[in-house]
Amino acid sequence: MKSLRRLTALTKAGVVESLQFRLGTFVTLFANLIYLALVYFLWKAIYASSGTDVVNGMTFYDTMIYLILATAIFNFLEMFIVWDMSRAIQSGEIIMHLLKPMRYRKYMFWSYSGSLVMSFILTFIPTFLVVVIVTKGAVPVGWNLLAFVLSLLLALVINYNIEMLVAPICLYTESTWGINIVKETIVLLLSGASIPLAFFPETFRKIVEFLPFRAVYDIPLTVLLKKNGTDSFDGLINAIVIQLIWCVVLTICGNLFWNHAVKKITVNGG
Amino acid sequence: MEEMIVKKRGFAFYLSIYKKILIQDLKSKMSYRADFIISTFGMIMTNLSGFVTFMILFHNFPSINGWDYHHMLFLYGFSLIALTPVQCFFDNNWNLRFMVRSGDFIKYCFRPINVFFYFISEVFDVKGIGQFVFGIATFVYAWAHIGIPVTVLTIAQAVVFLITASLFMIALMNFSAATCFWIINSGYVMVIMFRFKDFAKYPASIFNSIFRFIFTFIIPIAFIAYYPSLVFVTPDDVPLISWLSPFIGVVFFWLSYKFWMYGVRKYDFTGS
Repeated sequence: MKSLRRLTALTKAGVVESLQFRLGTFVTLFANLIYLALVYFLWKAIYASSGTDVVNGMTFYDTMIYLILATAIFNFLEMFIVWDMSRAIQSGEIIMHLLKPMRYRKYMFWSYSGSLVMSFILTFIPTFLVVVIVTKGAVPVGWNLLAFVLSLLLALVINYNIEMLVAPICLYTESTWGINIVKETIVLLLSGASIPLAFFPETFRKIVEFLPFRAVYDIPLTVLLKKNGTDSFDGLINAIVIQLIWCVVLTICGNLFWNHAVKKITVNGG
Repeated sequence: MEEMIVKKRGFAFYLSIYKKILIQDLKSKMSYRADFIISTFGMIMTNLSGFVTFMILFHNFPSINGWDYHHMLFLYGFSLIALTPVQCFFDNNWNLRFMVRSGDFIKYCFRPINVFFYFISEVFDVKGIGQFVFGIATFVYAWAHIGIPVTVLTIAQAVVFLITASLFMIALMNFSAATCFWIINSGYVMVIMFRFKDFAKYPASIFNSIFRFIFTFIIPIAFIAYYPSLVFVTPDDVPLISWLSPFIGVVFFWLSYKFWMYGVRKYDFTGS
């Protein structure tokens, strides 16, 4: 009980911090809407030129929902851990985090949780509602919503673990920009966030199936849209189990790597 | 007291200064070799990923709005080349807001050379060269497959239109970077503009009239590749706006420069 209170205190601090009024938040929100409109026009033109309504099992609305929510999940999950950790290493501040009576990985997760809760409420839910209303019933509403939320939670853990697996590389090199851009590019392409995995050529898709990235975007979104066999109970369980396996595997890898990397820390003064 | 003679500096003078600053910058970059290699690798990865996305799209859809595979590739290559100068030569705009906020920016105002030139010349981003090579390869491949004639005229046109097209993105980034003289931490403006450029590689004809208007007259990303490309892709039916795009580019760049410099003057007055 005591430890739970300790953790929720970190969540609360994050909520308060992100509630500060920021002009940037509103401008970015507006720009996101414009960006979504552009995605809409692009795919409308693409589908209009194709001559058929369904391409690889995806209708125009399916593709739109998939891509818009992928962008929403991207904004929701974006954590900047690589940047924060590299800054903490360069300023020496990381020592303060390591001295805390809590495991560093755990501490980081819970101090991010507050801003995650806020961005979920302030950006993800409104986007989701707009999508449901605008697409007029193309989003199936039922048990899949519950499964989607569960799947999204697992995606959050997986994404956090990917971040924490990449960020300690900053302890070996100071190339933060480079590391971050490589991570982001790989995750966005191979998770289906830039183009739905359903459109990938057969062999390419087979390879991507065996990578953890699709568990961040593709699995939650296919669960929501009831595609790829997830409308049956077995298919749904299958998808969730894949996510669970990745959670475990990545957590173990992340722990091992962090324990190794933390010995590398050298702080100059401070 | 000695009298300072302020002479109008010529192009050759600035070129020689640029060369000196460039060499210093490259030297300092080379001392962080791992960073250089990883960043270059990252840049190649982003270009590769964009290319893979493009290929997957055309794996499923044969054409977009009447633009077939090779024509789209032409547009894509054109945009990659036109977006190289902003990456290579104008990357320091990303640091402007930090400099202005911390007050370090004042150092640029104390030199007897153009402030904009001095600030921008300080960083040369080598990573952009990978994108340039990628763009040229795509451009030449598409050019050959569409069967655009190779004459002195078409090549000269390509050079002029590519250079002037690059001015649009440079100007956009100048405008959005200079907002930091008025708004603290206005980095998001740059991030937003930088994201819009992703749509430069698609024909502007896919948008409805409102967005086509916005992308022509307000955030002119349609000029980065679409309008100038029409000169090569549909040589029999080139709209007037395509022919005018080089002049518009120069004017737009000049306006962004003036806006940037206006911000500098304003910054001096706040005196931090």
